[in-house]
This record gives sequence, C-alpha cells and structure tokens, in this order.
Amino acid sequence: MAETQTLQTPVVAARDRAEESDAPARSLWRRMEPWAFGLGSIVVLLLVWQFLPSFVPMKAGTKLFFTVPSHIAGTLWRMFATGSVWAPLGVSATAFAIGLGLAIAAGLPLGILLGRSTVLNAMFDPFITAFNATPRLVFLPLLMLWFGIGLWSKVAIVFLGALFPLLINTYEGVRNSDKLLINVVRSFGANEWDIARLVVLPNSLPFIIVGLRLAIGRAILGVVVAEFFGAQDGLGVIMVRAASGFRVDVVFAGLIIFAGLSLLMTGLVQLLEKRMSRWRPDHANAG
Amino acid sequence: MAEETTVRQSFAARYRNFLLGALAVVLFFAAWQAVFLWVPFNPLFITKPSLIAAGYVDLIESGELFHDLAVSSVPFFLGLGAAVIIGVPLGILMGWRPRVGYALDPLMTIFYASPLVALAPLLVIFFGVGVWGKSIIVFTLSVFPFIFNAYAGVHAVDRLLINVVRSLGGGEWALYRKVIFPSVLPYIVAASRVAVGRALIAVLVGEFFAASEGIGFAISRFGDIFAMDRMFGCILTVMVIAVILTEGIRWAERAAFPWRVGR
Amino acid sequence: MTGYIQGRNVGLTFRPPNRAPVRALGGFDIEVEEGEFLSIVGPSGCGKSTFLSILLGLIHPDSGEVLMHGRRISGPGSDRAMVFQEFGLLPWRTVQHNIELGLELKKVPKEKRRAAAARLVSLVGLTGFEAHYPHELSGGMKQRVGLARALATDPEVLLMDEPFAALDAQTRDLMQVELLRIWREAKKTVLFVTHQIDEAIYLSDRVMVMSKRPGRAKRIFAIKLPRPREYEMRVTPEFNDLKLEIWNTLKDEIAA
Ligand SMILES: Nc1ncnc2c1ncn2[C@@H]1O[C@H](COP(=O)(O)OP(=O)(O)OP(=O)(O)O)[C@@H](O)[C@H]1O
Ligand SMILES: [Mg+2]
Repeated sequence: MAETQTLQTPVVAARDRAEESDAPARSLWRRMEPWAFGLGSIVVLLLVWQFLPSFVPMKAGTKLFFTVPSHIAGTLWRMFATGSVWAPLGVSATAFAIGLGLAIAAGLPLGILLGRSTVLNAMFDPFITAFNATPRLVFLPLLMLWFGIGLWSKVAIVFLGALFPLLINTYEGVRNSDKLLINVVRSFGANEWDIARLVVLPNSLPFIIVGLRLAIGRAILGVVVAEFFGAQDGLGVIMVRAASGFRVDVVFAGLIIFAGLSLLMTGLVQLLEKRMSRWRPDHANAG
Repeated sequence: MAEETTVRQSFAARYRNFLLGALAVVLFFAAWQAVFLWVPFNPLFITKPSLIAAGYVDLIESGELFHDLAVSSVPFFLGLGAAVIIGVPLGILMGWRPRVGYALDPLMTIFYASPLVALAPLLVIFFGVGVWGKSIIVFTLSVFPFIFNAYAGVHAVDRLLINVVRSLGGGEWALYRKVIFPSVLPYIVAASRVAVGRALIAVLVGEFFAASEGIGFAISRFGDIFAMDRMFGCILTVMVIAVILTEGIRWAERAAFPWRVGR
Repeated sequence: MTGYIQGRNVGLTFRPPNRAPVRALGGFDIEVEEGEFLSIVGPSGCGKSTFLSILLGLIHPDSGEVLMHGRRISGPGSDRAMVFQEFGLLPWRTVQHNIELGLELKKVPKEKRRAAAARLVSLVGLTGFEAHYPHELSGGMKQRVGLARALATDPEVLLMDEPFAALDAQTRDLMQVELLRIWREAKKTVLFVTHQIDEAIYLSDRVMVMSKRPGRAKRIFAIKLPRPREYEMRVTPEFNDLKLEIWNTLKDEIAA
C-alpha cells in the first residue's frame, strides 16, 4: 500500500503539479486520498452486498444461497462467543504447526547441503523442479491412502507444500553467500559446520524469511484443501459441511478465520525479519 | 585462448549438471524397482515402475488418459483465459488511474492474501463441477496474480518513455500500445507462471470434489479402487505437464525478455 | 639454517569454469626469516594476494611447495592470520563480535574474548564503535577492524594484503607506526603487500619486487635503514635512492 502512495503515474502527477499553487488543504487531501478511496471502496462493497436483497428481488432458491455481511459477522461472533470455533481450529492448527515445523527442520539443512555441494545440487535438481512445479494437491489421494484420513495425511500435505519454498530459498541464499567471508572464517580454522553457522546461515536469512512467508501460505492452503477431502475434524471440514448444508455464512466465516490466520502469521514473520535485519545497510532507512 | 579452452572442454564437462541430473533420475527409478527384491511388495499401497509402465500403456490404449486430460484442460484454459482478459486490464487500470488504484488496492490485497481455495466448496455448490463450475474456480484462484503483476508493471513504466511518445505527438492509445503494453508484458508472463500453478490446483480441487471425469477425478478414483499403478501414472502425467508449463514459460521469459533475466 | 617460511618454485593456475585459465603464479621462490618484516610490491594482478592465500592455507599450489617450520602448509592454522584486502567483515556482526571471531573458533571463553577485543579496539582506535555494524563504518575503520581481528588470535605470522589502502594519509602514518610497534613487541613475522613503495621501504627489512603475471620474485632489496624507524627517514637521500631503484625495477613490469 505504501507503494500506491509514493508511486504516481506521470499523467496525473503532471496534472497535479499544475494545480499545486492552490491551498495547503489540498495536500492534506492528497495524503488522505488513498486511504479514503481504499476504505471507501470496502465500505461501499459491504453496503451494496448488505442491502442487495432489499433492492433485487430473489427467487427462493437463490435466497437459500445468499448471505449478507451482517449475518456473516453475527455467525463469526457466535463461533467465538460460544467457543465452538476453538476445537476445530485447534485441529487445523496442529496439522499446520507440525507440517510447517517438519518442513523447516528438513528444508533448511537440505537447502544448505544442496547449496554447498554442486554435485548433490545437480542430482536433486530434476526432482526439486518437478515437485515444485506440480501442485502438491495431486498427491493428496495417495497420502490419504498411506497415512489414513486424519492428522497425518494433513501433516504430509502441509509438509510437501511448505518444504519446497523453504528449500529453494535457503538454497538460493546459500548460493549467494560471499566466497570471501567463507574464506575468512576458514582461515580462522572453521570447519564446514562453522561455515554454515557463521556465514552461510546468517547470509541466507533474508532468503529464508521470504521462503517462510511463501511456506506459510502454502501450508494454510494445504490444511484447507486436505480438510476438504481427507479429514473428519477441523475448520475445513466445518466449511465443507456448511457448504453442503447451504450455511453460506459459515463458509465465509471460515474463510475469514483462515485469512486472518494467514495475515497474522505473515505479520509475525515480518516482525521477525525486522528484528533480525538490524545489520543490513537498508535497515535504517526502511525503519 | 578463450576459444581454445571452450572447444577443449569435453562433452561430459559441459553437460555435467545435466548428466548428473539424468543419472539421478535413472538411479531413482532403478532403485524404486529394485528395492522390492528385498522389501515385501504390497500392491495396495505402493507400486513399481514396471507396473506403472504397463498400466500406462493401458491408460493410453483405452484412450482414458487423453479423455480425462481433454476434459480437464477445457476449464483450465477457459478459466485462465478469463483471468487474463479480466485481470490484466483491471491491473493496468489500477496502475494507470491512481484513484482506481487507491480504491481497489486494499480490497484486492485482502482477496490475494486469503486462501481463496476455501471458497471452492461454495463455488461447487453454486455452479456444480461441470465445465463452468471448474472454470470459475480456476478463474477465482488465478486472476489475482494477473491483476497484481499488471498493476506493478504499470508502476514500473519508464516515465521518460511516456514523455518521449507524448512529445512525438502520440495520443492515449499510442501510449498504451507503444509503451505500456510492452513494459507490462514481462510482468504478465511472470504472472502466468504463478497463475498456471494455481489453475492446476483449482482444476484438481474441483475434480476431487464430485466430478465424474477429468484427471483429478481419475487420480482419486484409482486411489479409491487401489489401482496404484494407474494412479501413479496419472500423477506422473500431471507432474510432467506442470513442469512443461512452468519451465516453458520460464524459457519463454528468458528468450523474449533477456534483459529481465536474474530478477 | 633453513628458512622459517620457504616457497620453492610455486606455481598456480586458476581454472574458472567456462573461461580461460589464468596462470597467477609461476616459478615463484621466497624465503622469509623468523621475525622478519617483508614487503611485496608488484603490478596489479601479479599474484600477490594469491600467494598470501596459499600461505594462509586456503588454496594449494599446483606445482612447487610452501613450507613453514620445514613442514608443508596443508591448511589454515592459528599460527597465521590475514588482514584481507577487501576487509571480509561479517556484515551481521558488530565490530566487537567481528574481532572476536577467531577467538570464538578457538573456543576461547567469553570473558577472555571480551577482554581481548576491548584491548584491540582501543589499539586500533575504534573505542566507542564496538557495537557498530560494518555498514556503519568508513573504509578505513573497516580495515582497522580487520587488523584487530587478525591480531586477536595472536598469530606468529601476520599476512597483510594492502591493509592500509583504504586509509587516509594521516591515519595511514599512525597505523604504520602502530604496526611497527606491534611487530617489535610481539615479535611477529609480517608479510606485507602494498602498492606504495614508500610504505614498503619505511616498514620493511626487505622488499620483494614481483614480475607481472605469472608472478615470480624479480628482485629483493635489503633495507638497511636503522631501527626504530623515524618518520624523518623518509626524506633522507638514502631513502629516495632506494625508492627510485625499486620504482625502476617495478616500472618495466607495469609498462610491459
Ligand atoms: N578465484 C579466482 N579465479 C580465477 N582467477 C583468479 C582468482 N583469484 C585470482 N585470479 C586471477 O589471478 C591473478 C592474480 O590475482 P591476485 O588477486 O593474486 O592479484 P594481486 O597481485 O593481488 O593483484 P592486486 O594488486 O590488484 O590486488 C589475477 O589475474 C586474477 O584475475
Ligand atoms: Mg591483491
């Protein structure tokens, strides 16, 4: 969003400059403009959605499918107020956390290994390319056969989804490590493990963080999809059941919860990134 | 001296990485086949390359595979096409008209950040799992990469070029044609790489739900009847198609926009 | 008596993938006495840094041999430390932690590391900058961190690759005096690469002039100026004669 504020297209920029002479009030408006338009469009959308049924006559069948924002908000509120959301959310979060944790535990070392060894890299490359290009969803029926319906097939799909962004970004970060710095620590008697710890890992950290952000998105996607098809418990299950029972409000409430989780996790990662990038030259300016 | 050494480099040295990769793939399948000499083989849970190959011949000869692929490809291309047709102009408009950008940026960001695949059950109930239902799922998942990349592409347009075209007397349309589209194009190609992945997910989701044909349906049905050989055959087919699509786009990017290589 | 450090007929060719090989050193001979201050001057790209890397044990020559204490150098060791031409500071570590790097790898306990780093920080005149990150330092300050880091492990041999190149003239003069003091007090052997003939003469017992690539020892000058060296010695006729002679030896290699 910061981008939209700073980047103006030239045509408008020129037009604005021509009008620059009048009133400082205008410059306040110009600063507020993106916010006003952004919030405004959301409010308008919600209002139209809310009052659509009062203007447009709907058939009984269509009405069954239709819900309004106030109804969704009410459902969401009730899910939290009665606490009915916590059990399924906990089930989903468990699969998410285990899968993502395993992906980190496997992806980082593997990424470092592949980045440090050209032979291993060349040998693994076809597999990584193939798995990364393929939607991991295609393995879901297989994983359900192998791990059964429930936690572990979800974990497996989350793991497969999150592994490759982490692995590939770690690998890129490692490949990008400064040869000179590696030589410096080697000259002080560092072994491969010290090199990984002292140079390669800190150097790859920004890349890994990007990988982590992608991985979180994929992991949430994995949980949702796995619960649609291969689970008996979890928020995704609630959503599918709601959809087939025409409880559209519940489906939207579930979507909002998942979106909120996704934003929360990404926010946490961003915070982590900020804390860990104090040494970076652009940090001071980026503030 | 430089030529001399490049010429002298042996075939093996030049294609070392490729050869190593090919070797690893061959080794992988060989090991997969061989491991059942020691490990007990349970055809209900696993299969081996020789059986996959045999099953694959069946799939092809019966025409099943091509039929399922054809069925799946229709919503795939329809949805993607609609995503391009709607997403790109919308993104360009957002970039070009700041107020449109202000108005839509937060909204689109919210959509982009939410796991939209969660809407799939709803879409399936609304529209069914025929061609249209699947196309709409594909569209929903793949339109946002186009919107955002076109949006970013317009922001990256060189202001100098715009002034040059203006000073030469070009009108609004000339600007679009000569400056904006060419600048935005690489972004759109890059978006299509992301979008293709999402479109594949969408097709599979739609077909896992309740379809009666299509490659996703085939995979889940072969799973249900424990036909591991044909299930693996279909999975490998999807993998190959996915690799061809993404690597093909990557290759096109390198060939068409060499100046953007390395981004 | 055999030399402390000996290089015999050292040759090394870089073979970067998909590019023409570069013969950096060929038939390079060197002999260094214990406790000696030896400077090396030579045209850019003649293999000076390469030789220091070999001595450090980071790369291995593909012909000839390099010995220390009569034993072939097989890898890095805590008896040698390098001040790198391009600093080589870890950007995610503060000044203090950069200086502690070598000690950390030698498993020196934290308290001792702190103390050693504190001493070195004041030695190289960086007091007050302990908690700064490299990107917050000037080029000269970075170079001084590199020097402190090399000194921290108390090596017998100090390999210095154009260590003062990034310093301003005044700091440079001060650092030269400081280096001579450290060298004298700690009885170290110093191999010092520089492009400044003045600096080489002023600091050294001997100055080696290298040929252009592939680098060989072209000629060695013994510097008979008395020690301790004084700043005024730089303007004596003796000094200037030497400087001219070394310049003439070097000039042919650069021109050709
Ligand atoms: N890792 C490497 N790969 C390929 N060639 C290299 C490598 N390191 C050095 N060279 C080449 O070897 C030659 C000698 O390099 P070196 O760094 O030793 O020169 P130098 O004498 O230190 O030069 P300068 O005074 O400019 O620092 C140069 O031509 C350089 O291009
Ligand atoms: Mg050098």
